[in-house]
Amino acid sequence: MKPLYRCLTGAAALTAGLLIASPSPAAHAAPAAPCNADSTVKETLPNGTTWQMCWRIHKMHGLVLEKVSVSSTRYPDPVQVLDSITVAQLNVPYDTGTTEYNDITDYGFGGGYLQTLGGDDCKGGSARVGIDNNAEPTRRAVLCVSAEASGHAYRLADTAESPFAKQGHDLVLRTISKVGWYEYITEYRFADNGRITARLGATGDLSPGDYTTTDHGWPIGKGAKHYSSNHYHSAFWKVDFNIGGVGNEKIEQYDTKQSGGANSRVLTTAKTDITTEGSFTKINRRWWRVVSPTSKNADGHARSYQLETGANDPYEAHPETTPDVTFTQHKPCENFATGNADPECANRTSIIDYTRDKEPMTNPVMWVRVGFHHVPRDEDQSPMPVHWQGFDLTPRDFTEMNTLTPPERRDVNGQPGGA
Amino acid sequence: MAMRRRRLAWGIVGVTTVVLSTAFAVATLEASAEPTPGSSPGAAAAPSTVSNPSPGPAASAGVEDDPLTKEEVNQAKTVAMVPLTESAKDVTGAKGPEYLSAEIVVGGTGRDAAVYFYDYSTDELVKQVVDVTGGKVTGSFKAKQMQLPASDREVATAVDLLLADAAGTDVRALYTKVTGKPWTGKDQLKVEAHIYHAQPADTAAAKCGEHRCLQLVARVTDGPFVDLNDLIIDLSGRTVVRAK
Repeated sequence: MKPLYRCLTGAAALTAGLLIASPSPAAHAAPAAPCNADSTVKETLPNGTTWQMCWRIHKMHGLVLEKVSVSSTRYPDPVQVLDSITVAQLNVPYDTGTTEYNDITDYGFGGGYLQTLGGDDCKGGSARVGIDNNAEPTRRAVLCVSAEASGHAYRLADTAESPFAKQGHDLVLRTISKVGWYEYITEYRFADNGRITARLGATGDLSPGDYTTTDHGWPIGKGAKHYSSNHYHSAFWKVDFNIGGVGNEKIEQYDTKQSGGANSRVLTTAKTDITTEGSFTKINRRWWRVVSPTSKNADGHARSYQLETGANDPYEAHPETTPDVTFTQHKPCENFATGNADPECANRTSIIDYTRDKEPMTNPVMWVRVGFHHVPRDEDQSPMPVHWQGFDLTPRDFTEMNTLTPPERRDVNGQPGGA
Repeated sequence: MAMRRRRLAWGIVGVTTVVLSTAFAVATLEASAEPTPGSSPGAAAAPSTVSNPSPGPAASAGVEDDPLTKEEVNQAKTVAMVPLTESAKDVTGAKGPEYLSAEIVVGGTGRDAAVYFYDYSTDELVKQVVDVTGGKVTGSFKAKQMQLPASDREVATAVDLLLADAAGTDVRALYTKVTGKPWTGKDQLKVEAHIYHAQPADTAAAKCGEHRCLQLVARVTDGPFVDLNDLIIDLSGRTVVRAK
């Protein structure tokens, strides 16, 4: 077994001098574990936030996280956030028009493609043993669990005394899958402020066989002789919320439009309820949130999580890889964004099929697509530096204040001096 | 999105720094041992560690939605195969379906497994739902035009078919070209394979999708990749075709 290491990554070490001693873990006991000890990850970060979840390896999805709940020193009762989250497809077409892979449904991130952790894969973390779900299931060290510094959680200097300054941490779970020459890092980051980040990192090597001409690639190696083919990585995640354990969330889309105004433009934000299945695409200032119908914070506001996507190249060659997000009614046999091969529902193979009948949603599932058009560069050899694509799920009104609010600021809730 | 960009940028730094040498980490810690001017006392480093539990003994069965154990998979597979043994055929043409994979049925009332097979006699993907504890099949579904990732035996069969085909000559020649060594046998290649679906323009492999076809990703054992992308092995038709 690996001994416990202090997190000695550069970021952690550099910020070490600013950290405050960690508070004691949440005093309240969590509900009975919904999975056995080896399938459970339950960790308390230095600021007192505890994340708990179950994990397992699916032959095709790879890492699946289920029954994710969070608590903190201020809010010690665990509240469920997610029923499950997992990668639901990875489409990799090459710009030459000759090759296209669907790495999840044609290979899979689990089984024999899942890597046993080695080298520095889990330096500073805890390598957890789980069943790889290969044809002959084997228990291997495949999940790395670590706590990593995330920089400033907040800072506020409103008195002559020393500032309220706190360094934050993420609980990080990652697995690695090797599919051909590419190696993919499936990573989830659970922040001490409630944010969840899902990312896919790609490393390994460029395709050894996909070389082309100047219009479809980039010259690597000496001179301008070998043009490594440009290509896409369109990743999908399936996110099933279960906020407060009550489920049945509502989907809201927000748009902000500008109009007149005396001293500055007036921006008006309006909500659109998304009540039936469909796919949606981002425009400037548009965002979506998944809202609990009944679970509320102490201010009486409905708990929700907001989808935040960043860098994102849509692949308009396929209808499935064009929209940013798709919402569908939960169905047990709809598990992959494309290439869904379940004989129990043979007519439903992709998000296009799932949304076709625009069924009203009482238990929505969110499918998030994030694409990256990879134009190779000299530095991609070798191994290729990890390139990332992913999104954030940010709590909105999950708690009535910042989960990390220091005691001195706990009366600051609402308009200062407001009635 | 500024917040997110910062976070992603940090993440890249974090991942990059894990490969830095121990010397760097030690040097940084020594540097931070000196109090920062103006810092408040007690602002010491909190170790950001996680627990490191020893794995428990291998359980024979999981609870709720835990992954299927080896014993549960074997049990489910055995039960699921019984109704298929006589009619179905595997990739070698022998009686019984080709086993592909098994997954826990999430949210089931007990320990239920979805066991997937391919039946080469009908070119159908078969899903058998098995109550593992009760030892019985509770649901059975079949569909054409559906393909799950290949089993190890299917990949091995594809290699055999390829080497026995006229195209096998090209494979052996390519091996010699890449390595400068003569071909002595199939263990000189390490092969993975993915499911191949014919694209509209691909008339040579038009059956792929309805048939179970594989495209190989091969490398010289402990050596470079060998590009066999244009060769498609149709396991259902037991033929090798060149993709366009």
